[in-house]
Amino acid sequence: MADSPLFQALHMEMAHALCGEGEQEKGLGALEGVGFRVGQGLSERLTKEMPSFKDELDVLKFLCKDLWITVFKKQVDNLRTNHQGTYMLQDNQFLLLSQLSNGKQYLEEAPKFLAFTCGLVKGALSNLGFDSTVTAEVTVMPSSKFQVVIQKS
Amino acid sequence: MTVHNLYLFDRNGICLHYGEWHRKKQAGISMEEEFKLMYGMLFSMRSFVGKMSPVDMKDGFLAFQTSKYKLHYYETPSGLKVVMNTDLGVGNIRDVLHQIYSNIYVEFVVKNPLCSLSEPIQSELFRAKLDSFIRGLPFFSARAG
Repeated sequence: MADSPLFQALHMEMAHALCGEGEQEKGLGALEGVGFRVGQGLSERLTKEMPSFKDELDVLKFLCKDLWITVFKKQVDNLRTNHQGTYMLQDNQFLLLSQLSNGKQYLEEAPKFLAFTCGLVKGALSNLGFDSTVTAEVTVMPSSKFQVVIQKS
Repeated sequence: MTVHNLYLFDRNGICLHYGEWHRKKQAGISMEEEFKLMYGMLFSMRSFVGKMSPVDMKDGFLAFQTSKYKLHYYETPSGLKVVMNTDLGVGNIRDVLHQIYSNIYVEFVVKNPLCSLSEPIQSELFRAKLDSFIRGLPFFSARAG
């Protein structure tokens, strides 16, 4: 995204500043909101030259390839689905955690570095016509899993 | 050839990190005192070298050696000091000290918002990366020398 170190530093500061003592919940919400708006904008820009998507899976593939490469300079390592609207995106070397730890240290701080990305995914999906809930889970850094549940309307 | 130990100091003289590999003799004082002593010596050495130099210097104090070991010194414009003790067989390792700063300190401490600067470094990832980097150096092994 533009210049990666700049994005990384800004993201880190945002996460750190918004999720201060006792304001964790509020901060996570705000971060996700920012991510949502950025995701909307990015999906607009990245898809303007593309043919329209066939189905849900096509959209998720777009997220894993184009969106992820634009923002994190790599593809999602693994995409799994139960074919009922639940998807699991796994990134084994998640850019925003790769400088923090490669084990369990700082694990309790991980959620604030994932909220923006959850919003990003949600925003991109929303702009392409899918309402979703996105949650993230980390057991060992820097590997992260994002669970996307598409809401059927 | 051998790497004995390594100190990282910040601009205010706080020892951010200390690592030890082949150190046969301890100073016999507490680590805290040793860091202060070390920093004081480096500080004096720097100003001494600066004042005594008969010409304008670019790099300033680079290294000194005794009959048994060699101390390598590298300082960044931001005041971070990387100090490594090796045996006498090791030549100029400015690039190595610079790599410790740019590839390890900047990457895993500066870019980690959970590490507060100007405090001893707690990050396990930083320690692991530094240790494996030092162990990978061509002049690390004690046997070769």
